[in-house]
Amino acid sequence: MARMKFLCDAERCIECNGCVTACKQENEVPWGVNRRRVVTLNDGVPGEKSISVACMHCSDAPCMAVCPVDCFYRTEEGVVLHDKDVCIGCGYCFYACPFGAPQFPQAGAFGMRGKMDKCTFCAGGPEADNSKEEFAKYGSNRLSQGKLPACVEMCSTKALLGGDGDVVADIFRDRALKRGKGAEVWGWSTAYGKPDKQQAPKGAKS
Amino acid sequence: MRANYSGVRNFLLGLLLLLPLCGGSAWAQAQSQDTQAQRQEVQPGNNAPTWREVRSGKEAYTTAKGREAGVLIQNEGQAWRKLRNGPIVQYGGWLVVLMLVGIGAFYKLRGPIGLHSPPTGKMIERFSSFERIAHWSMAISFCILALSGLITLFGKFVLLPLIGHTLFGWLAEFGKTLHNFVGPIFAFSVVVFVVKFIGDNWPRAYDITWLVKGGGVLTGEVVPSGRFNAGEKIWFWGGVIGLGTVSCASGLVLDFPNFDQSRSLMILASTVHVIAGLWFILWAATHIYLGTVGTTGAYDAMRDGYVDETWAREHAQYWYEDVKAGRRALPSGEPGDATATTAPTQVQH
Repeated sequence: MARMKFLCDAERCIECNGCVTACKQENEVPWGVNRRRVVTLNDGVPGEKSISVACMHCSDAPCMAVCPVDCFYRTEEGVVLHDKDVCIGCGYCFYACPFGAPQFPQAGAFGMRGKMDKCTFCAGGPEADNSKEEFAKYGSNRLSQGKLPACVEMCSTKALLGGDGDVVADIFRDRALKRGKGAEVWGWSTAYGKPDKQQAPKGAKS
Repeated sequence: MRANYSGVRNFLLGLLLLLPLCGGSAWAQAQSQDTQAQRQEVQPGNNAPTWREVRSGKEAYTTAKGREAGVLIQNEGQAWRKLRNGPIVQYGGWLVVLMLVGIGAFYKLRGPIGLHSPPTGKMIERFSSFERIAHWSMAISFCILALSGLITLFGKFVLLPLIGHTLFGWLAEFGKTLHNFVGPIFAFSVVVFVVKFIGDNWPRAYDITWLVKGGGVLTGEVVPSGRFNAGEKIWFWGGVIGLGTVSCASGLVLDFPNFDQSRSLMILASTVHVIAGLWFILWAATHIYLGTVGTTGAYDAMRDGYVDETWAREHAQYWYEDVKAGRRALPSGEPGDATATTAPTQVQH
């Protein structure tokens, strides 16, 4: 069985927010909830890089570990899902998650948290696949229909990759190799040390 | 002398072990000064500075609205997870079990603290109705908070396997909502309680004698004290004021997430809250024991406000003498020397 993965290629992401829109459209995400977001570093200056981020469906998921009611579960494809009928809206998964994936719609006065909502890798929830109840609580279940997550399929530059981890890794490895060689390959300086600045190529591809 | 030298050597070794940490952070700073723009000049396609920035947890630009939406990776969560799922749950859980077993064993071995002289049958007012309401508000809200808090912390390991996800999810949600609403009521009742009782809990010289003799709990000796003994005073200052302030302040940070508190602040508050709450529960368990089955007549004072004069003389001698001599009024404000003859008859049970 494939192990599902997301990967965002920072060289390709152009911060169009198409993935964010696709996600909201596909899953009819409630107001105030962003299952996916695009973050831009060095915005507007040379070296700007954008990265699209959502739940990364960790193998050792912190949300799952701290949940006081144990409402999370992992599918055979490695997708981390949760049961909204069990969730109590305590916010612990939001504290523990490194990626800020868990979101809470406000459910009352004083910012009281409702049931947690997060990216499902377009794999729905514990209800019957593609049922009305599943859609209302978790959104689309595209995986059960043999489709990839909406964000991934929408990405105009194919920066956001998602699906079988082995395939995603092959695509990204291929890209990294084609982009450059020697000192230009990402990780070269980690392995062999930073090249002397005088000898390094200036801009042009060698 | 050799021992001394080895101590110094260990200290220096410790310093040496710490040095790389300082050096490491300085090195990381020097590295991150190399911006992505500079790095890609010499090494196109090398995004190391970007990833270093991602890892630092710094807020960057995003169109998404939400708390810390611009942070790609936050680092505190993992430490919190390890602390909570590790030592807090393990040591905390066993401490709670140990405390319950300890109290049970104490009851079995020592038994309740009884009266030395026969009761006189004359009742004296120990607490006014306002004082009892203040104490009961605090006691009831504390028990609700303690139970719902214990369910949130340990329920997953103890109750969930017994009653299943559906029922436990419902119970935990009920507990969470109750905890969130009763919390501020508890905080308010603590303030009222402290204002009302701080005078009688002020430390006195005779408290030291009481402490040295351990209150006579084990020896059976009657040790004089004021309205409250030194043990109760320590509970008042350390428990009600100390742990009360810490748990209420950290609890209020968590109770109102609508002020856009950062995750690191809530993680800190949650850690402090859990540890303070556990100590509070452990300590309160001994207080509840001593105020109910552990001391004959103490619970009647809490419920009806009246105690037998023998009880008052043996448990709060200086206070009793002051009231009898008319040096201080009864809790309800009635003059002290006219005591007790008007004790209501319905408190006999």
